[in-house]
Amino acid sequence: MAEKIDGSFGCGRINLLVGRAGSGKSSLLLTIAGFHSEFSGQILYDGAVFQPAGNFSLTFQDPESLFFNTSVGDEVEYSLRMRELAENEITPRAQQWLQRWGLEPEKFYSRHPFELSGGEKRRVALAACTVAMPPVILLDEPLAGLDANGQKALAEMLNQLAREHIVIVVTHEPEVFLHPDSNILFLREGQGSWFSGDDFLRQAVCNRDFYPLPRWYCHALAPFATVSSLPQVNAEAVASFVAREKSHADKL
Amino acid sequence: MIILDKVSFRYNEKSETSFKLKEVSFSCSKGSITGVIGGNGSGKSTVARLIAGMIEPQTGIVTVDGFAPFNHIGRCGFLAGIIFQTPDNQIVGTTVAEDLAFGLENLSVSYDEMQVRVRETAARFGLGDMLSTPVHYLSGGQKQLLCIASVMIMQPSWMIFDEPTSHLDPWARDNFWQTVKTFAREHDIGVMVVSQLAEDLHHFEQILAFNAGSLVFNGPIADLRASVEQLPWFRIPDAWKLEKILEARS
Amino acid sequence: MQISYKPGSSFLYSLNPLIKGGLCFVLIMFFSLNGLQLPAMAGSLAMLLLFAVMGRLPLADLLLSIKRIWLLLVIVGLVQGFRGDSFELVPALEGMIRILGVFIAAGCYLTVSPQSELMFFWETIFRPLRLFRLPARELALVMVIAVRFLPVMLSEIDRIRMAQIARGARLGKGGFFSSAAALMPLMIPTLAQAIIRGEELAEAMEARGYRVSGNRTRYHRFGIGFFDVPAGFVALTVAALTVWSRFL
Repeated sequence: MAEKIDGSFGCGRINLLVGRAGSGKSSLLLTIAGFHSEFSGQILYDGAVFQPAGNFSLTFQDPESLFFNTSVGDEVEYSLRMRELAENEITPRAQQWLQRWGLEPEKFYSRHPFELSGGEKRRVALAACTVAMPPVILLDEPLAGLDANGQKALAEMLNQLAREHIVIVVTHEPEVFLHPDSNILFLREGQGSWFSGDDFLRQAVCNRDFYPLPRWYCHALAPFATVSSLPQVNAEAVASFVAREKSHADKL
Repeated sequence: MIILDKVSFRYNEKSETSFKLKEVSFSCSKGSITGVIGGNGSGKSTVARLIAGMIEPQTGIVTVDGFAPFNHIGRCGFLAGIIFQTPDNQIVGTTVAEDLAFGLENLSVSYDEMQVRVRETAARFGLGDMLSTPVHYLSGGQKQLLCIASVMIMQPSWMIFDEPTSHLDPWARDNFWQTVKTFAREHDIGVMVVSQLAEDLHHFEQILAFNAGSLVFNGPIADLRASVEQLPWFRIPDAWKLEKILEARS
Repeated sequence: MQISYKPGSSFLYSLNPLIKGGLCFVLIMFFSLNGLQLPAMAGSLAMLLLFAVMGRLPLADLLLSIKRIWLLLVIVGLVQGFRGDSFELVPALEGMIRILGVFIAAGCYLTVSPQSELMFFWETIFRPLRLFRLPARELALVMVIAVRFLPVMLSEIDRIRMAQIARGARLGKGGFFSSAAALMPLMIPTLAQAIIRGEELAEAMEARGYRVSGNRTRYHRFGIGFFDVPAGFVALTVAALTVWSRFL
């Protein structure tokens, strides 16, 4: 399906895996997770061959479909229980993690997962999958189906996580995550090309066939494609950038 | 032409007595793409289902081209078709041809006419040489195309799309909007798209905005843009925000 | 090595679905119930394979799939072969040929019949049940939809399994004797998704005009072809042979 993928995913910044549907993004995630064994080459972690068992978390589209407990608390604690953490540590740690995902334990801990709103369910699902804090966090389209507010908030959360864990996200909305120093692997026509956030934005702005980013962004930045350090894909950043460049141009 | 006149609707839920839709009235005509926007629980999906004839309003009247769509099947043509979010959960047939024919079987179309229409519609949507392909061999984009074709084969007067782009890749999204614009302009099919994505907004010409079961805005998109400050629940898309900020600065 | 429909064309493919199903049924009855001796049974099996070859069925696939039932064959052979204290080869072989015959007959039937033909056959079988107010065509449709969703459900179970394993669930170990509790993380989500899927599908079907009591026409039509009459006679002959060899 894809060949000669040579590169690395690190922590400190988020790693995005983009490409058309069917280009092999999900298969690559499964390969890293050890579920897909038809591959040649090596997956190394810190120089040694990566041993997935216990070291990763994996979610697919609509992770809410994984719920099988009757309370949010049980759902989040499950992963810790299965890793046989000390009994008195499980609940505090789970509650702390839930808090970090923006859900107050007092309000949510004992509720039934199906009672929550779409955005809340998504947060619980992602929290439940990552509570054991494995070094590698693999997410396949974690924002699909959310509205714009929900997407922005969760993207923020994942960017924060990425500081301490290796977070690899397959997404069709890279613009929500992108920071100039993000690491992007673009799978197309069986090959993988690596880009920094900045390079990716630049190429997309110049050529819609490369990657269709929101049209307003491409239009606004078309005249500035040669400038390094393109802004993030939100109105405020673009406005400041454009203003800055204009005043720069005026001075010259 | 779709007309809703003081329509109220409530699902039979024991826990709440709130109305899903409260006295909603509006009309839409063909020729322009109508967007139905609103957050979760705003009633926009209920409106889509009322127009598609899947549910009946408790009060008020819903008409499409002058007829009530509820249980209307077959009498005077197929009024409004609806496409939901997940293509896989809408495909009935085991092969492409069977799924295309499903709607026609329901409309009691004759055997000979069915064969012709299945072939023609498949060709029209680029599925012409895949008639006996089992459905699980299709890619995600092809499945969505099949869903659209399977409703279009019934020759509806209106097409309603319920959150069609949320699971598509960006290229497929572009393709989708191309297809939809072709329907609206060239094929005399009314198009209504239900969406909560901000970036879909600029594709719409008419907007119906719902909040907590009431219709809070009905008009062309330019008017929505002008009065955006008076709508506190509305999340302004980045494109509009940018223009406003740049205008303010210059 | 799955036995499922493989497109092809030959006289076997062109038979009416009712004839195909009838032949399959009669052959299964024959191999299960006949009272023939070993040479005759072996000969019958050989004839079945000969017809399969003449009908241009992918025989290699079919024979390879026999691997799946090797254990069953061995068990049957041993059970039939041990009479008293000694092992007799002839009854063992007879037992194994019976199993093989049933398996190959069913396999051939499924190889030449696409879903629509299977559905038509089942629908016809269910038709007498209409006297008891059971909707035959709708039941057949339910079976077809279930089969059509099988690949979808399988890949979904797989994804749920992988994600839950990542959370620490111990699935895939313990095999047949895993406790019910251990399988909850797999079973509950799968069931929930199946219910949601069923609801959405029902909505979509209604939206496309499906009504249980409606007058639905048919896309598929199955006629009687050139080979159907001889095939019908063959079926009757095999049935007669079964009865004669067993009871007379």
